[in-house]
Amino acid sequence: MGTFKRSPRTPLPGATMVVIALIAAACGGSTTGSPAVSAAGSASASVSAPSGSPSGSADTGYSGPPASLEYSIWGDPAEIKNQQAVVEAFTAANPTIKVNVTVSDWEPYWDKLQTGLAGGAAPDVFAMDGPLGPDYQTRDVLLDLTPYIQGESYDLGQLDANAVKDFTTADGAQFGLPRDLNVIALYYNKTMFDAASIAYPDGTWDWAKLVEVAKQLTKDTNGDGTPDQWGVYTETTDMENAWSSFVWQAGGDILSADGTKSALDTDQAAQGIQFLQDLIWKDKVSPDPAIFAETGDAFEQGKAAMEINGSWLVATHEAAGLQFGIAPLPKGPASQATSVNPTGAVVYKGTKSPDAAWALVKYLASPVAQEKIMALKASVPVNKQILSTTYASAFDGAQVFADALGYAHLKPSFKGYNDFNTTLQTELDENVFNAPNKTAKEAIAAVNPQLNQILADNQ
Amino acid sequence: MTDDARRPTYGSGWIGLRFSRIRGGRPRGPRAGEEKWAWLFIGPAVVGLVLLSAAPIVATFAISLTHWDLLTAPDPAGFDNYTKLLNDPRFLTAFRNTAFYTIVSVPLGMALSLGLALALNQAISGISWIRTMYFLPIVTSTIAIGLVWSWIYSPSSGLLNQLLGAFGVPPQRWVADPFWAMPAIIGMSVWQGLPANTIIFLAGLQAIPSSYYDAASVDGAGRWARLRYVTLPLLTPSLFFTGLLSLIGSVQVFDQVFVLANPGKPTSATITMVYFIYEAGFRNFKMGYASAASWILFLIVAVLTFIYFRSQNRWVHYQ
Repeated sequence: MGTFKRSPRTPLPGATMVVIALIAAACGGSTTGSPAVSAAGSASASVSAPSGSPSGSADTGYSGPPASLEYSIWGDPAEIKNQQAVVEAFTAANPTIKVNVTVSDWEPYWDKLQTGLAGGAAPDVFAMDGPLGPDYQTRDVLLDLTPYIQGESYDLGQLDANAVKDFTTADGAQFGLPRDLNVIALYYNKTMFDAASIAYPDGTWDWAKLVEVAKQLTKDTNGDGTPDQWGVYTETTDMENAWSSFVWQAGGDILSADGTKSALDTDQAAQGIQFLQDLIWKDKVSPDPAIFAETGDAFEQGKAAMEINGSWLVATHEAAGLQFGIAPLPKGPASQATSVNPTGAVVYKGTKSPDAAWALVKYLASPVAQEKIMALKASVPVNKQILSTTYASAFDGAQVFADALGYAHLKPSFKGYNDFNTTLQTELDENVFNAPNKTAKEAIAAVNPQLNQILADNQ
Repeated sequence: MTDDARRPTYGSGWIGLRFSRIRGGRPRGPRAGEEKWAWLFIGPAVVGLVLLSAAPIVATFAISLTHWDLLTAPDPAGFDNYTKLLNDPRFLTAFRNTAFYTIVSVPLGMALSLGLALALNQAISGISWIRTMYFLPIVTSTIAIGLVWSWIYSPSSGLLNQLLGAFGVPPQRWVADPFWAMPAIIGMSVWQGLPANTIIFLAGLQAIPSSYYDAASVDGAGRWARLRYVTLPLLTPSLFFTGLLSLIGSVQVFDQVFVLANPGKPTSATITMVYFIYEAGFRNFKMGYASAASWILFLIVAVLTFIYFRSQNRWVHYQ
């Protein structure tokens, strides 16, 4: 659940959420029941294999009857505005389709979605976090888009290959298209580097260099025993922010190649997780996670010289008025690696307007929509045409994210992901990162049987 | 429903109403019309109770006997979920944490609110303003309270550490420290729960006729004796009532933990039973499992409430 990062948690009590979700679901159901849409629904029932969807004048090729869609996303206010702008452009190009964008915070988003799906009143199109996709796809609530892709000869090759893979099943069915990407890199505060006369990070850095420079930049200016400027800040509470990249850089992996077993019980994987623990508790160049738990990002507050974190932070750091640069993650003992995690758009199997829904999903990944998504600087575009042309000049350092896609590993995505992640991360938080009660190796040994059991239960 | 003329204890009769009904027959006599009205008035509450409480409770039991992921058809599972739960270390941890929370927070919260009510039950100028101030937490959402308290508990810049630091106490990590996490959450919850109990105690205190105190004074009772032999016995109905609500509320603790637990998610030191249920049902696609956990929680609350009710004859004095 790396996406904690995007939406600071503002949870509601569980019961309230369920009630709200039920009400929302009920209201949503009544709006989609308008005559126009019922007509669209019956018309499209025969078009589940859309051989005859001629590409009209609009670049999305929708020529069906008038339809109205509900498109649900999670996100912060900036992202919402951004997605709304994309949707407005879509409806301008497809005047027969109405789109109602509904937004939630990260936690309630999934509560509402599950309740809506269970009650048969889910949004027609909704955002899907890469790792969670299989949990929904395997439960048969998502529309298989393969017939559309084949029917129109839609070229999946125009999108980042890793990202497409996250929405493809083992037997090759496509149940969604990626919309944007989250990539991890190294942010650095130019002012702090200049003040210490240290050269900016670049592609030649490795772990040792990171630790060396981080030590130089960790400073206790008021002499109270706690640094006021930290060498490097990151988030420990999800594999995506840092530690999965370290595991891959050390030559390890999270899951076995066939996805049936945890691959964490290797020396390489342990070495990767151990590196993060050492940054905090041995080298003491990274803050104890408790220190910034309430106040948030230390780098953004100007209290850390470097940050290992995701592409979603560019706009936030700019808004904070920082003079910062972006560099690739340092190379590990085995290789250069980072994490990529796509957000996609998927279609509800029970939608009354599958053709219009497909048109929207396709539009979101199109160059014109991707340019708009890119403008926010909060996510990396998924369309190769944009990645290789305008994206590089979107902001200083964008090219680093684009290049990183060449060596990025896909964040693990499988059925039972959340159960697996909660079990694993609870152990790591308690005993490895929040306090060095155990070495990474000991913690993995303690939790690995449970992880394998979860994977076995979800086969 | 019963015809017995019982003492008006909480829970006897149906929400306090006694319906006159001759066993087996239609209502007759002058009170028959009243009964119709009674039903009319409690109708909305009964409908709400049946639809929103009783039906889901029954449905939850049915779901708890299945493996159900919410989205595909459920598989019958018998009592598999229950046996698994009793062997699930995470569930047992949640149970222990909830028990600890309840055992500490209920008596502590009641003692503090009683003290507060006694202090506020004074005829001094400006007392209504002071009371209002103390009642503010009741109109504040847990989310807002949780955010403020997370700042109070912040290890680096928190108010609490600065305060303790003035007395030479080294900074603590509070919510991030497995030892202090639950006490920290209890601290916030007790503060948050104070006004609700205090209001009830204040009302109870003001209902005690001053003639009792006068009589006690004439008999030579001092402040302590009056508290011990007049105030407390006559306040037992209020104590019983707030105790019941606190007990049920604390066994179901969720949002305080949800908001305060940082960094990351609630850990082994802070997960509670309701959090466990939420996580299993809405995060891990195990609705049957979550329902079984809900039923275990329901049975715990029912048993505790039953014992508590049985105890009232021994210590609750109705005037």
